[in-house]
Amino acid sequence: MSTPKRIVNALAIPVVTLVVLQTLCLLNGQSVISNMKSFDNFIVYTAIVMITTMALSINLNSGRFDFSLGSMAGLSSIIGAKITYGILSGGNGSAPVMLCISLVAGVILGLISGLTYCILRLPPIIVSLGVTLVYEGIMYTITGGKYVMSEVQNPSMSALTGTWVYAALIIAAVLAFMIITFDKTAFGYDYNALKSGQKVAVATGINEVKNTLICYGISGGLMGIVGTLNAARNTTINGGQLNFGSIAIMFTAFLPMFIAGYIGRFTNEKIGFLLAAVCMSLLNSTFAVFSNSVNATMQSIINAVLLVVFLIYLNNNDLIKRLLKA
Amino acid sequence: MNKKLTKVIGLIMAGAMTVMAGCGNSAPAAQGSADNAAPAQEAETTTQSSGKAKKIGVLVADVSGEEALGFRNYYEKYIQENYDVTFDYTDALASAEDEKAAIEKFASKGYDAVISLSSSDRAQQIETCEQYGLYYAIASGVLDDEQYEKYKGYEHFVCQIGPSNATEFEAGKAMGEYFKNQGVKKVALYGAFIPNPMHVFRAAGILTGLGCTYGGANDMGAIVGQIFQDQGIDLSKVSGDVELVAYLQGYGDTTTDELGAAIQKAPEAFLSVGMATTFFAQTLSQENIPFADIDSFTAMNSQSMESGSLKYLAGKYSSSIGPVFALVSNAIDGNLIRNDEGNAVSLNQGYLVATDKATFDEYFVNDNGDSPIYNKETLDSIIGSQVTYQDVKSLVESK
Repeated sequence: MSTPKRIVNALAIPVVTLVVLQTLCLLNGQSVISNMKSFDNFIVYTAIVMITTMALSINLNSGRFDFSLGSMAGLSSIIGAKITYGILSGGNGSAPVMLCISLVAGVILGLISGLTYCILRLPPIIVSLGVTLVYEGIMYTITGGKYVMSEVQNPSMSALTGTWVYAALIIAAVLAFMIITFDKTAFGYDYNALKSGQKVAVATGINEVKNTLICYGISGGLMGIVGTLNAARNTTINGGQLNFGSIAIMFTAFLPMFIAGYIGRFTNEKIGFLLAAVCMSLLNSTFAVFSNSVNATMQSIINAVLLVVFLIYLNNNDLIKRLLKA
Repeated sequence: MNKKLTKVIGLIMAGAMTVMAGCGNSAPAAQGSADNAAPAQEAETTTQSSGKAKKIGVLVADVSGEEALGFRNYYEKYIQENYDVTFDYTDALASAEDEKAAIEKFASKGYDAVISLSSSDRAQQIETCEQYGLYYAIASGVLDDEQYEKYKGYEHFVCQIGPSNATEFEAGKAMGEYFKNQGVKKVALYGAFIPNPMHVFRAAGILTGLGCTYGGANDMGAIVGQIFQDQGIDLSKVSGDVELVAYLQGYGDTTTDELGAAIQKAPEAFLSVGMATTFFAQTLSQENIPFADIDSFTAMNSQSMESGSLKYLAGKYSSSIGPVFALVSNAIDGNLIRNDEGNAVSLNQGYLVATDKATFDEYFVNDNGDSPIYNKETLDSIIGSQVTYQDVKSLVESK
């Protein structure tokens, strides 16, 4: 396929999404992005969805279903918030310090999760459920089930999501890191080899355990970033998420993951994650425009329907093409 | 990713998302479950000179809100230090099942009484306490008239002391009128945890105060009835001079997006029936949107009032739940006080309103730390074997 055709195909879904949603909004006398505030929200949400999708796909692409992403985001951000508040008391620089601490905490939590999986040798879905419960329990113990508020309510945290600039920088940094790590390093080559053919890859001498641990570590670190962004955006962290209350965050990443998988046929998969996140953020911005008539429950149903429709298309696109030609 | 795996994951996710959507995303402020309903801590009792130490369980749904924390501090840091009693708070109760389970655990541990700050199912709370012989009192909100008539004669139902539903309505109405008189033309409304009755009455009051009708109705009963039926505010049913540009309720995964959407509609004021000071103060302050709430006089709200973002607060003071403790204490000691008709005590408490820092501080400072409005000296006047209904009524009405 020629490069221009690849570019057109890669941009097709985001462009069609924008045109359809903008048309819907214009019919109601509004716009998807109505002002600077909604643009800030758009970029911040794009960052959150893109990073969550990447964190999910790292392990899922290798057949490891990880339910603990939400609990890692929550716990790492709580650790980051508590330590940061202890050092700076909500003063200048709270946001970058919390971001760094949460990232490190996320990496450690991810490594613990990965280590548990490697040691127990149980199906990853079972291990991740167990890890989720443990992390949620730790969150609850630290917070007493309360919302963490004073630790994340300060001007520095407000500034982090109060403008699109920081979110855009984070998107660029994460994108660059992911492309270099997974496409340009020995770890990335091993990862892709294991993803394509595990037995063959192991037989060639690739250290599967080491690769898995690094995957979990990166995934955890990414969720640490998501935890900080969510804390800044929500101005709270919910410490009372027991009994899998934290897994909902994972579901926001499924539709963009499948969209990214499709876009990845024409371009780098990581660029696909960004474009898919843009689509989801456009949808989210449209929901904001219609928030008075489309409530939260309806939004979830729309997301679920879109996921099903997209999966039907993905699994039957050859049939659809044949029907269209006939 | 192969197609088979894609199909399986897709089906699982679609099913899970649909179920989650059905459950709703704007979950209550703090989630819990039946398992969480266990008392938060094991009671550590001290022994009275009489040898009888009181153990009181407290049902709570909100463990993070400013008002809830103020109440908790008063019981745990003031009352507990001044009286021979131990308060045992539950974790956040999210449902009627959680409340029932918590009461059963209190009963199994030999507690004397239950004070309720949780309102998922008050009728079931009363029934359960009656079943296990636990004294029961309501410290936040009240039963509706029909429920009170039904349960007022229950042997273990001690009292309900707090703003009546009519008072809640008037509190909301006063808030709405204040902003209408300020010339505000576009507002956003936060319905907190509607269909919680107190929030329904406050929301109905705000609409009335703004001069709006709801479904064509402008009287309390009709508006309240429709809000209960709608389980929220349907913006298409609101009409009046002041435009309601956005409405949101609950607190959950989608709340930030809903708040963002409301802010994008550029309201001139953000009116809340409760908890906005807890969840939204930072964001609203950042966006320079004045807001109003029905909450309590706490340090955090003082900061918001000082910064100018909190323009109107109708609040209770933290020690307003003192008389409930007094009546429960009396009941445990054998003096079960009844009203003039021989039924459970039901007394109304009003709200204090502050629209400036000086007024706020007056209420805040007067009910702070070691010198609450209902201090030991005041409470002692209604604790004892000779205390009567009139003593309690006079004191409550004087505050």
